[in-house]
Amino acid sequence: MQPTLSFEQAPPISVPYRFFLTAPLFGAVAGLILAALGPETFQSRWSPGALAMTHLIVVDFMLQAMCGSLLQFVAVVAGANIWRPRLVAAVVHPVITAGAIFLASAFLLQQQVLFLVAAAVFVIALGMFLTVMAIALLRTPARGMSIYVLRVAVLGLLVTVGLGATLALTLGLEEHLQTDWSLIALINVHVAWGLGGWALMLVIGVSYLVVPMFQLTPSYPVWLTRLLPAGLLLALCLWSLQLVAPNAAAQAWQSGVALAGVLLAGWYAATTLWLQSRRRRRQTDATFLFWRGAMLSLLAFTLSWIAFEALPQLGGNLRAPLWLGVLVIPGLFLCVITGMLYKIMPFLNWLHLQQQGGTVTTSPNMKQMISERAMRGQMWLHFTALGLLLAAVLMPTLALPAGLAFTASCLWLEWNLVGAARVYVRFRDRIRAAAGRAVQADQP
Amino acid sequence: MPEPRLIDGRDLQPPEPLELALAELATLAPGEELVLLLRCEPLPLYSILERNGFGYRAKLRPDGTNEVRIQKV
Repeated sequence: MQPTLSFEQAPPISVPYRFFLTAPLFGAVAGLILAALGPETFQSRWSPGALAMTHLIVVDFMLQAMCGSLLQFVAVVAGANIWRPRLVAAVVHPVITAGAIFLASAFLLQQQVLFLVAAAVFVIALGMFLTVMAIALLRTPARGMSIYVLRVAVLGLLVTVGLGATLALTLGLEEHLQTDWSLIALINVHVAWGLGGWALMLVIGVSYLVVPMFQLTPSYPVWLTRLLPAGLLLALCLWSLQLVAPNAAAQAWQSGVALAGVLLAGWYAATTLWLQSRRRRRQTDATFLFWRGAMLSLLAFTLSWIAFEALPQLGGNLRAPLWLGVLVIPGLFLCVITGMLYKIMPFLNWLHLQQQGGTVTTSPNMKQMISERAMRGQMWLHFTALGLLLAAVLMPTLALPAGLAFTASCLWLEWNLVGAARVYVRFRDRIRAAAGRAVQADQP
Repeated sequence: MPEPRLIDGRDLQPPEPLELALAELATLAPGEELVLLLRCEPLPLYSILERNGFGYRAKLRPDGTNEVRIQKV
């Protein structure tokens, strides 16, 4: 597979940046919720604090960053035409931000009406985003496994939003208006599609291109690039059958289906670590280390899942799902997202400045956009926060330091990203001023 | 004909090869050639070259390397 990038279709830099610059702030709020509510948050996955925190991170941090990246990535990698990207970003960004605030408030305050408002808001914002993205991905002439996997990821987001809206309606409506589906089955399927069908699928699709390109590794084996998404999609479809067959006999094979999906995810993590170990240049940077941390978290998630299946007295503990959640959300996804933001923003800065200044005007190089020292400092703080969050699952009395460390890590990330945006603005203004002086000098 | 300048960007992280190429282009004399070796096709570079008066010929070598030969027009 010959990787190619087409920057002619790239949307204006403000389109992805508005998503990138708000995403970490909601991670900081999630950490503050944990610090404020304390140990009760980590009593079980069903505590209002845990639910509010989770949705602030997965919707306002992860989804924001992923939507912003996808708007850029689909245009650049697939050469796809995104319909009016400025308008889409101007609508989708504030509306999903508001929707996540409504949803987190609904969990914290247990207000039925807020669930209904959140459902309506998400359907509007993500309906627009999904429509635009699906048209762009279906119409693109580009081929390659990355494109196919991105299409599946967009389908995964569609299913997640549909089930999430159904859940919000179920929680917000009177009992006689609720769906016949079991609430637990709905949650199980919603979580699986959100984390596996959307987020992990997107990471897999993007990694086929960016891991070999930016980390100078060999390419993923072609047969594996086909097997992983196909296997995950099949596991998700079979897992979803619990919505229509919620009986005890079905539960036995459903746990086998879940295990198969988790093993595929672990296989992907092990392959990525193996490719990283065979990279052609031995130097490491923050992006490389974040990816390594992410893949180690995914492996730890897989091994924990197997242990919980093998030892029911351990897996039956109310805090077992929290352990898995910390490994996969701040562990896997936030590590990948942060590592990619540290690559994407300097790259976009450099590219847009080059396009404005050509070869004549000197622009800063990639390494001057965000200092490696600042990125590594934030990375170690994130890993520390991750360790504290895992420790807090075992000892909930550690909720306060874990929450504060996570907030500090998100704020440091925000600071680094804002710094990159300011570098862009400073050099863009210099280029414009130089162009203005050149025009004046040419005039008689 | 002077020896062409060579940038082997195959083991460099994007956009390092492009950064090096732009630095070389700033001092490329008429008739002189810059050869760039890459593992991917440098589409962003093509548009920069076209805008700034450089011509280029690109070919894919049998080992998968993209060879781009650049000259001032």
